[in-house]
Amino acid sequence: MNDAIDMPGGPACWMVAVGFLAGIAVLAVRLERVQIDSAADSRRRMAVQSERRVQTDAPRGRIIARDGSVIAGNRASVSIAVNAESFQKRTWSDTAAGIREAIDAASAVVGRPSPVTDRDIMRHLKQTLARPLVVWRDVGPDELARFSEHELDLPGFAVVEREERVYPNGRLAAHLVGYVGRDRAESVAGDEAFRYCDMEMRGRSGVEYYYDGYLRGVPGERRLLVDARGFAHDETTIVEAKRGPDLELALDLGVQSAAEAQLEGHKGACVVMDAATGEVLAFASAPAYDPNEFVPVLRKAVYEGLSKDPAKPLLNRASGGTYAPGSTFKPITALAAVHSGISPSFTYECIGYYQCGKMKIRCSRTWGHGPENVMTALRDSCNPYFCYLGTAAGTNAVVSAARAFGLGSGTGLDFPTDAAGVVPDDAWKRDRYGERWFPGDLAQMSMGQGMLLATPLQMARVAGALGTGLLATPRLIAGMAPELKPLPFTERELGAVREGMRMVVAGGTGKKGAENVDAWVIGKTGTAEVGAGATRRKNTWFIAYAETCEHGADGRPRRAAFPERRIAVAMVVENGESGGGTTAPKVCEVLKSVFGTLGPEPSEAGKEDA
Amino acid sequence: MDVLRRVNWVQVAAMLLLVAIGTTCIWSAGNAREAAFHGMWKANLRTAALGLAIYAALAWADYRKVLQWVSLPAYAGALVLLVAVLALGSEIYGGRRWLWFFQPSEISKLCIIAFLAQVFGMKEPPAWLRSVGGFGLGCALFGIPALLVLMEPDLGTALALAPAFLVMLLAGRVWRRGITALLVAGALGAAALLGAVHEAERPGVTPERREAILRHVPLKPHQLKRVKTFLYPDTDPAGAGYTIRQAMIAIGSGGFAGRGIGKGETNSLKYLPPSISMNDFIFCVYAEETGFVGSLVLLSLFATLCVSCAWIAWGAADLRGRLFALGFATLLFAHVYVNVGMSVGLLPITGLPLPFISSGRTFLLTVMAGLGITQSISIHKEEET
Repeated sequence: MNDAIDMPGGPACWMVAVGFLAGIAVLAVRLERVQIDSAADSRRRMAVQSERRVQTDAPRGRIIARDGSVIAGNRASVSIAVNAESFQKRTWSDTAAGIREAIDAASAVVGRPSPVTDRDIMRHLKQTLARPLVVWRDVGPDELARFSEHELDLPGFAVVEREERVYPNGRLAAHLVGYVGRDRAESVAGDEAFRYCDMEMRGRSGVEYYYDGYLRGVPGERRLLVDARGFAHDETTIVEAKRGPDLELALDLGVQSAAEAQLEGHKGACVVMDAATGEVLAFASAPAYDPNEFVPVLRKAVYEGLSKDPAKPLLNRASGGTYAPGSTFKPITALAAVHSGISPSFTYECIGYYQCGKMKIRCSRTWGHGPENVMTALRDSCNPYFCYLGTAAGTNAVVSAARAFGLGSGTGLDFPTDAAGVVPDDAWKRDRYGERWFPGDLAQMSMGQGMLLATPLQMARVAGALGTGLLATPRLIAGMAPELKPLPFTERELGAVREGMRMVVAGGTGKKGAENVDAWVIGKTGTAEVGAGATRRKNTWFIAYAETCEHGADGRPRRAAFPERRIAVAMVVENGESGGGTTAPKVCEVLKSVFGTLGPEPSEAGKEDA
Repeated sequence: MDVLRRVNWVQVAAMLLLVAIGTTCIWSAGNAREAAFHGMWKANLRTAALGLAIYAALAWADYRKVLQWVSLPAYAGALVLLVAVLALGSEIYGGRRWLWFFQPSEISKLCIIAFLAQVFGMKEPPAWLRSVGGFGLGCALFGIPALLVLMEPDLGTALALAPAFLVMLLAGRVWRRGITALLVAGALGAAALLGAVHEAERPGVTPERREAILRHVPLKPHQLKRVKTFLYPDTDPAGAGYTIRQAMIAIGSGGFAGRGIGKGETNSLKYLPPSISMNDFIFCVYAEETGFVGSLVLLSLFATLCVSCAWIAWGAADLRGRLFALGFATLLFAHVYVNVGMSVGLLPITGLPLPFISSGRTFLLTVMAGLGITQSISIHKEEET
């Protein structure tokens, strides 16, 4: 080796080498800190800048009727969208111009100009750059075929599918089912967590609204990788969206159609309820609307047309329309009186009117019914009898009987609209009108007029309770545990009222309410007068309770010991003639849809009997 | 063959591995990008092939002859080119560094070291060369080109050359007091500079006071910004601090084993623009894709390469060879240390390439030429002069 004794720099060689190793060691230690100790932090910061979480819409559960047919389902809706990353230019305006050009070129292929404006494109670039921009929504099969044929010539365009709500039965049960709208989704996991959320379907009314959380399902998650400018780079599905479960309603489409057919051309409502369980079998409100018009978005013109229609098709009359119950309230007055100690055979002579102070309340038969008891008064719907009976029982008795039947408060229906109605008393009247309770008010209330208000749903419940002695909480969902509350009346008291109501359909005011129905039926008519002078009109009611019957030797329905089905019906028709004339025959048809029709022979026997 | 026995194979192996890693890195960084970058690895490989030819030629040739005949014209030529680039160079990113297709400052690094080795390693040096006179000469020979480089401005090159210069003076036994004075002055200067910027940019300092302090700091605005970003890395994450922030995120998210070759997001998602992700900040791309393991492998290869040069210096036949090998090793090491150091936030950002890994072709050829001369020192160590 060269050991030139004199040659300098020997120590420098190993000093430098040691220095190199020391320097590398310093770097290694630093790298250990950056790459090992703060790796998780760096990954997080990387994710914050390059990852965008996208909440994806879950398909909505279907709404199904009792027989399994679909009332609210989903259909695939195809859209054509454009992805901005295929048009990246140095400036945003050049990028936007490129997209515009591509959309115009694609319009020629699809055969429909796109509603996307230049402003939409700029807004998309600023706000939702990493997501596809929908150019044509709800593309038809022809347009899709033309697009697919030229798809290779249209880089950057893609077909996007999503599910839209569809109501196969159109108007049928529209108010019950409700409708959906699309809205900016609420981020499930906090505000920052999701950068983009699909517009999600949300129930806006009816069952769609009430059971929205159940139907909605669990949103999925996708992760977008974006580059430094924000363009999408890659996309992966992290969590698949979970379809919402189907909701099975108690609704019986046969009964529902029958009820709606009867209300066709009228304004009114009909509720049919299983009196034993509270399950709602029909829930009709007329006029109705087609909920399909609300999907995917409710157009302003459609909404204005519906909301300005004087017939108020958007109003849900079944549980949101409050009407004076009229004479259908009389069984309650009767129960209040009987319960307060008045005998059902108590006789009062109807002379055609009832004098209450200066007020004269007229009876439907101007010359009077003559002597009446509770049963015959129900049969004849005699006003003076019930004015007298109610007055004799007193305000407290009538009010508490009305409340025992669930009037004056919501029914507890699993539904957004559940009007309470009004059961007036002294305190209510003072609060509302600043006026004390007069005997005339009690007389009016005793025959279901005055300030008393109830919904068809409430009255169906009343009918059911009169039949079974149990007040059922109405339910829209099939198979829920029934909630039944016993009425504070004895079987004997109820029996007297049932006898009266049986006489109503057997030959009284409501004899058209149960003609040829293969069931044991009791009912009550009601003709409530509303307004005064020129706006004076009549809302006509019929409520009925019917149960499966046995047939006697003559073939006539006879009450069974253990009836299989117990049904309550309430129907109101606005601006009718009379409860017995207008509404009772309609209810009769609804009852037939449940129980069927009796053969011709018994019907003749029935007529002879009447 | 005797020659083959004298070849420093460790250096050859380390160099070839580094060329392989560098090409892979550029291939990966380019592939994740637009089509224009896809072929860059081929260009790098071609340059490396040319570099290998130069390396072999210089290794084969006797370094003494090369230094004797080439170093002076090379040095003079470098000075001419450095002046020329200031006058004629094309301006890119606010600096004049490019003359036609190459960067004179890269070549000048090698020329300066070669000429310093030739001067201070002469066989029978006059006495003045080891004392004040020699110190002054050295300062002049280093200072003039360094000043020209600084005017480009290319602070990084000047800073990378300084340690090599000092090591060469030290090994050449030139006037110790002068070297000590230079070291002390350098340390004090750096401390004063950092202190002044630290004080001026401290949050809550009034603009007047900031102005008053910075008037005495001899830094260009962009350099000042870099020092400030180094001292206060979190002040401006979208502006001046953006690059270093992204660099740290990239390196850190590599973790222990890395994301895998070609899977680094910093590069593919353009969080570091290609102008730097393939050059001065390529270590970030590499570290993200290969993790701590890959970083250690790379650093070990650089350590091997630098130490092998020091080993060659130790065994050199004469002072000329020893000085060149030491100077070149230090230059190489300075590049590695400054480049990796700035990427991990140990040093302010300076535009220095990482040898073999960055895509600069002038520098790759310069480094391979320097290694070739070093190899020649190893091969020709037992021959008589």
